[in-house]
Amino acid sequence: MRSDTLNLTWIYTKKIMKAWFQYRSDALLRSVTVFLREATGIIVIYFTLLKFDSLNGWNMYEMFFLYSLLFLTYGIMIIFFTGLRDFGRTVRDGSFDRYILRPRGLLFQIIFANADWFAAVGHGGLGVVLFLISAQKVGIEWNVWYAVYYMFAIIGGVLIQGAIFLFLATLNIYLLETSSLKELFYFNMRKFAGYPVSLFQKPIQILMIYVVPFAFVNYFPSQYLLRKDDMQQYPEIFLYLTPVIGIGMYIAAYFFWRYSIRFYKSSGN
Amino acid sequence: MITLESVSKFIISDFHIHIPQGECVGLIGVSGAGKTTLLKLMSGLLAPKHGYIRTIGRNPVREKGTYGRDMGIFLTGKSNLENQDTAREALEMLCHVYRIPKEEFHRSYEALSERFAFREYEEKRIKDLSLGQRMRVELAAVLMLKPKLLLLDEPDIGLDENGKAAFWKILEEERRKGMTIVVSSHNPVEISRHCSRIALIDEGKLLFYGTEKRLRSKYASMDIMQLKLDGKIPDLEDLPLKKYEAEQDMLRLFYDANLVSAAEIIGLILKQTQVKEIQVIKPNLTDMIMQLKGVKEDELNRGK
Repeated sequence: MRSDTLNLTWIYTKKIMKAWFQYRSDALLRSVTVFLREATGIIVIYFTLLKFDSLNGWNMYEMFFLYSLLFLTYGIMIIFFTGLRDFGRTVRDGSFDRYILRPRGLLFQIIFANADWFAAVGHGGLGVVLFLISAQKVGIEWNVWYAVYYMFAIIGGVLIQGAIFLFLATLNIYLLETSSLKELFYFNMRKFAGYPVSLFQKPIQILMIYVVPFAFVNYFPSQYLLRKDDMQQYPEIFLYLTPVIGIGMYIAAYFFWRYSIRFYKSSGN
Repeated sequence: MITLESVSKFIISDFHIHIPQGECVGLIGVSGAGKTTLLKLMSGLLAPKHGYIRTIGRNPVREKGTYGRDMGIFLTGKSNLENQDTAREALEMLCHVYRIPKEEFHRSYEALSERFAFREYEEKRIKDLSLGQRMRVELAAVLMLKPKLLLLDEPDIGLDENGKAAFWKILEEERRKGMTIVVSSHNPVEISRHCSRIALIDEGKLLFYGTEKRLRSKYASMDIMQLKLDGKIPDLEDLPLKKYEAEQDMLRLFYDANLVSAAEIIGLILKQTQVKEIQVIKPNLTDMIMQLKGVKEDELNRGK
């Protein structure tokens, strides 16, 4: 990155931060709302597991650990990919036409001019809380290697979800509206990902592993650290693939984007 | 500066135009005539279905994003400003994006905020401004880039008289310094007064392209004389009139001022009858355009 680009990145970020501090109470409230909205899902798990002890061999804290990865990666991802998550809006309100004519990278502008810090803090905060609650109680003996693995797993998980957003945003160029696809292939899949993937029927497992690979965002990385019995039905290599899949998917989505952007049609007035 | 050859896209069909450097071209046409589509084609936002486009010597679709400060564009509904910024912040942001040096920004900002008179509300957020106030800041934003080519889509919407005056004055100055400007409007009178050339567009076709003077001499030498008679209707068969209409004591004559003068007509009429009132009407640009549309349609129909 050229220093001038870094400078603009900083200016964009400063600007978003400024908006954040300008509406401090509103910002805080929105983050808290996101936090609580997402936490209700966890509370349901909590009460379920009070009754059933475990889900497919996973106890409450292990479930929380599984969840924490999901929230942490989403929290980080949403800092960078809000502009792509809301790509339909970016196109509709004319921002995209504006970006496209400017002497700056298109993805760069979409990524850095938009960042949903409210959601980031809400989701990320919940991820951190769940991690703190569970990390000590799931029997992981943390060492440097585990910490490094964990970091790479998070980077991979961020990239996998970022690639899905980038892919769905690109589809927007061909189809008029993709928000229902996003609902179906992203947010619904993400709900499944709150549970160990081994819990589901074969078709859903295939979907979660090979199609929308949420299993690599949280299930397999958690398995690397927890080594639960249900891992036996999957190849061991799956434990190490998260960063590779993340980078691979992102590169593929990026090229799809670069290719498709030529077909972008500005809307009429 | 801009060349379009047999370009088709949406309503635009088989469109040819060449805009040399330093001209200010006014695109005139009713809503839906294709003005915005043309501007988008010139800027590279739209790719032509057929045809050839060069903007500043480059293919705008393939090389959009490389023009940098060479091209400034304002399209209705595609604001260059961020809603939550103040005018100063919004313009400063553009400077970062377009890599305009700080000193230059301060100089331009001082000058433009002065001339568009938005100093008094420069601390307000863009979203809290009225349409006219916002437009002033919007125009200052594109002019700040000092582009070689400026494309403006109906920039006079919402501007009051002072705003318009400031805007056209700045455009005139920039054009003298060599800026090429393409500006659309559906107010033909305003635009023809300020642009060096006008392009009449109707249903995606270029009806006329040239100076206002040429438009007037070529198509609109038809004057109208309206008389209130006090007596019989005169015999006018000897005059080369285009047509005449008589209604009770009113007589309306349509004639080509190049072929017959008003004095000749009046002379002949006064020999035959009494006249209470005389009124000679020079058609305005709007009438002319209506007339031109008629002429062209006739020509087209004859060709079929």
